[in-house]
Amino acid sequence: MSSVEFKGVSKAFGRTVAVEQTDLVVQQGEFFSMLGPSGCGKSTTLRMLAGFLTPTTGRILVNGRDITDLPPEARGIGIVFQNYAIFPHMNVYDNIAFGLVERRQDKATIRRKVEAALEQVGLTGYGERFERELSGGQKQRVALARVLVIEPEILLLDEPLSALDKKMREEMKFWIKDIQKSIGITTVYVTHDQSEALTMSDRIAVMNEGRMLQVGTPVDIYEKPASRFIAEFIGDSNLLDVTVVKSNGTRCDVDLGDGLIVPAHVSDTVRLTPGSSAGLLIRPEMLRLAPALKGEGPRLTGKVVDRVYQGALRRYHVAAGRHELVVEVPNRPELSPLSPGAEVQLFWSEESGVAVP
Amino acid sequence: MSSAPQIEARRPIGVNAKHLRWLLVVPLTIFFVVFFVVPVGLIFATSFNPQTIGQVSVTWDLTLENYVRFFSRSNYLMAAGRSVLLATLVSLITLVIAYPMAFVIAKTENAARNTVLLILVLAAMQLDMVIRIYGMMVILGDNGLINQMLAALGITDPDQPVQFMYNFLGVILGLVQFSLPFMILTLVGVIRGINPSLEEAARSLGATPRRTFLRVTLPASLPGILSGSLLVFALSISSYIVPALMGGFRVGVLPIHIFQQVAEGARFQFGATIAVILFLISAGAVTVYLRVGARHSGGLA
Ligand SMILES: Nc1ncnc2c1ncn2[C@@H]1O[C@H](COP(=O)(O)OP(=O)(O)OP(=O)(O)O)[C@@H](O)[C@H]1O
Ligand SMILES: [Mg+2]
Repeated sequence: MSSVEFKGVSKAFGRTVAVEQTDLVVQQGEFFSMLGPSGCGKSTTLRMLAGFLTPTTGRILVNGRDITDLPPEARGIGIVFQNYAIFPHMNVYDNIAFGLVERRQDKATIRRKVEAALEQVGLTGYGERFERELSGGQKQRVALARVLVIEPEILLLDEPLSALDKKMREEMKFWIKDIQKSIGITTVYVTHDQSEALTMSDRIAVMNEGRMLQVGTPVDIYEKPASRFIAEFIGDSNLLDVTVVKSNGTRCDVDLGDGLIVPAHVSDTVRLTPGSSAGLLIRPEMLRLAPALKGEGPRLTGKVVDRVYQGALRRYHVAAGRHELVVEVPNRPELSPLSPGAEVQLFWSEESGVAVP
Repeated sequence: MSSAPQIEARRPIGVNAKHLRWLLVVPLTIFFVVFFVVPVGLIFATSFNPQTIGQVSVTWDLTLENYVRFFSRSNYLMAAGRSVLLATLVSLITLVIAYPMAFVIAKTENAARNTVLLILVLAAMQLDMVIRIYGMMVILGDNGLINQMLAALGITDPDQPVQFMYNFLGVILGLVQFSLPFMILTLVGVIRGINPSLEEAARSLGATPRRTFLRVTLPASLPGILSGSLLVFALSISSYIVPALMGGFRVGVLPIHIFQQVAEGARFQFGATIAVILFLISAGAVTVYLRVGARHSGGLA
């Protein structure tokens, strides 16, 4: 069942179009992320869903009901902001009780629900505290408890982790995902951090300049990106300039130059025409290095230009003809380091080469 | 290549910056001492000298007789009460008028419209108070615009105009007019500083715009309400020119009494006593306000 539906939704501020015509369906219980660089229209999309902005065109449906003209308070949608927006003049208890008070629930019910919410987010005993007496992570928990306690149909999160330090971010990532899964709430999550999106999401929409470029599972997005922009935005990437030789649905052959033709995959949302130029994406961790000819599948011959030690792995920069590639090699004893200047073969399996327009 | 010399060049500046700070602090301190601490200290000292008409200088002859006199005369006590009442009423009235105006200005996002609104508010401050009061006389006087209009409409008898001036009401009107820009500017700053996502969070938690205003915006602007009222209270209780001109010396507030003691009677010691009491009332108000502020913002003043 579709939980959220955008039908031809767009938003313009004066002459700037923040969100282009968008059609989108988020399923019941799904963790859906919008991922894209700053200013690409993620927050605008979310704020239209929350009811803080009116779409310029189109309709928004929640559980089949058209909510486009409803004010935020009538939508039953909870939102957690980047800055948490904890009411500074209320303690944690009153913050969490806010929505219940607005719903005119009786004191005993409110007390029971707030205590349960505090327990759910691991803040039992923090009810008397004020915002400035909380750490970033605790504010985050209060903001989430405040929203979950009203049992919204949809949960919206606008970059909720970006104000936290790295360690806290890692921790909260899994914590939010756990809570989301345990209550099965449909969630729309906004971030510009690809690792957050990949870890937490059921599906991801990659956005740029107000447009949803690709919508798919994390595996789709990472392994079968539909464009160069997506390939480069998500993860580290080697993008080689190639010419499409032959195209057949989700497979194709591309020319790496000098008549070196290799097979590659293509996202099923993309059609490549033979003769057109394209990019061949090979992730650094998908490449293998060997000093001599061995193994099978597509390969390139090159020379190590640079080597960077990164603890868990070594990154090599390899020049192969007109291409320059980055290769990540796990730091294991049997893979002895190669020195700059060494002649090497680069291998990858057919599956890990993806052609992008 | 250029970074090394830059670092070298920065060091001496760092040392200079320290000296610079002292260079800035010292004149400020001197200014503060010369123009604030010394005069206020002299007034305090003078108030403990016996009343001697015409004597300005401070002596070691200390007495409490001026204070005894102040607190044993009902007209001075009533003047103090009148001053407090006046300043309180002016603060309240100014707040009630200023808040909606400040709210509109703060929430006006269009930059051009916002500037126009602020200029209108500031325009009221561009003229000296005396000139503004004469302007108010044109409107509020016995033959002023309002009375002419009321008479023309047959609401009042032309021979018995409504007394807007030379009474307590006139002083209130004058002080409210004088205080409005201060209050508005203070409130605009605070209301604008309220994180808009607080209001959005309230809305999405189920609060209507009215409830959001009552439960979030208004409490969040409490610091502005307190500091604005405090400012207006202090301006009003110490104002001499407005009670003098709008009250026609008939509204005996403390500054009027000070003026009469000092300028008319050359009774510097008793004038100083009234000034000290006025100062203590203001200081007391500040303390009360800060306490209230601390309570309502959860310990944060
Ligand atoms: N109220 C507004 N008035 C005018 N332009 C706006 C407004 N809000 C957003 N925009 C513009 O719309 C575009 C998209 O903004 P949006 O806030 O949705 O970006 P975002 O993807 O959330 O970026 P970020 O990651 O920086 O939060 C931007 O170009 C922004 O300048
Ligand atoms: Mg944003």
